[in-house]
Amino acid sequence: MIVGKQKSIAEIREIVLPYKKLLVLGCGTCVKTCFAGGEDEVATLSSALRLSFKKDGRSIYIEELTVERQCEDEFIREAAVAISKNTAVLSLACGAGVQAIARRFANVPVLPGVNTTFIGVLEKQGLFTEECLGCGDCQLAVFGGVCPVSRCAKKLQNGPCGGSRNGKCEINPDTDCAWQQIITRLTALGQLDNLRKYNPPKDWRTSHAGGPRKLVREDHVI
Amino acid sequence: MIKKYKPQITLFHCINAFDNCASLPVSTGGAFELKPVKMACSSMVKDVFLLRAFEAGADAVAVFVCPEGQCRYVEGNIRAKKRVNFVKNLLDEIGLSGRRLSLHNVECGDTENAVRILQQVLSDINDMGPSPAK
Ligand code: SF4
Ligand code: SF4
Repeated sequence: MIVGKQKSIAEIREIVLPYKKLLVLGCGTCVKTCFAGGEDEVATLSSALRLSFKKDGRSIYIEELTVERQCEDEFIREAAVAISKNTAVLSLACGAGVQAIARRFANVPVLPGVNTTFIGVLEKQGLFTEECLGCGDCQLAVFGGVCPVSRCAKKLQNGPCGGSRNGKCEINPDTDCAWQQIITRLTALGQLDNLRKYNPPKDWRTSHAGGPRKLVREDHVI
Repeated sequence: MIKKYKPQITLFHCINAFDNCASLPVSTGGAFELKPVKMACSSMVKDVFLLRAFEAGADAVAVFVCPEGQCRYVEGNIRAKKRVNFVKNLLDEIGLSGRRLSLHNVECGDTENAVRILQQVLSDINDMGPSPAK
């Protein structure tokens, strides 16, 4: 899932200040799971904004709505009526959702209320960790299901480096050394030999380094 | 005619911590309004309910929960405490002051303590003045 964090009230206030009628638009999928932009967060943020403006003697009209997914046109359409009644949209989706709304509604300013942070997992209640960088050429089969691209601070393909200490990374004693985990897991799987094979330098052209990417599934294009 | 200011406290309370708060014998120098909101468990106190209480005109919001380790639903009071702390930070960010929101562990039926807490909340409102978002 995409993990994000809501922006501070001060920053959001600044962004929405020029608008009198605002639609706070949530997304009921990834950002809901990480408590950044689902129905509850839409309600809490809207209430906090109203209080904040009222305290300063300003008035703002806020409408609240959450759609299932902001990155799919089918769901975005449900927001059309609410968007037409307001002068701006504060989207609590990830950056993809914000842009999908902006693309469909060309005449309405669409503002981000969330900082999109990473592709990750819910490790336990309230803890989200980064697990994938979307490199476009997944090598998890070689590395025992532990990603050195997203979880090694140096993105080493042939680690560990000399900074690995007692299973922790030198950048932060709270960060696990991904390469320690790769070796532990490959040992447990009896696949440590994977690391004896030649592993060519990573071709970053499939990653974002090759510019914005596009995926076309001809079999689904009509 | 200018309406006379009457401090308003919204009190969210778990029915296991306190059955009925409407009749608590709080004696103060002046009049005040107490709006009790009963909950089946304190964990039902969502962030937005606390904020909406301020939108509805509260000068302070108090939450009564059972003592730690005594929640009928095991950890409801711990969840309530975490939410209250989250909203206190939000109130500070907004400039409304997190001091206007407080959580208290109250033994079931301890009227004396409940009254003492509400009197303290009232005296805090007197120090801070009315909510600037009223
Ligand atoms: S808009 Fe973003 S947050 Fe919402 S479902 Fe799509 S990817 Fe997830
Ligand atoms: S190897 Fe690439 S695609 Fe696979 S998990 Fe790592 S970053 Fe993601």
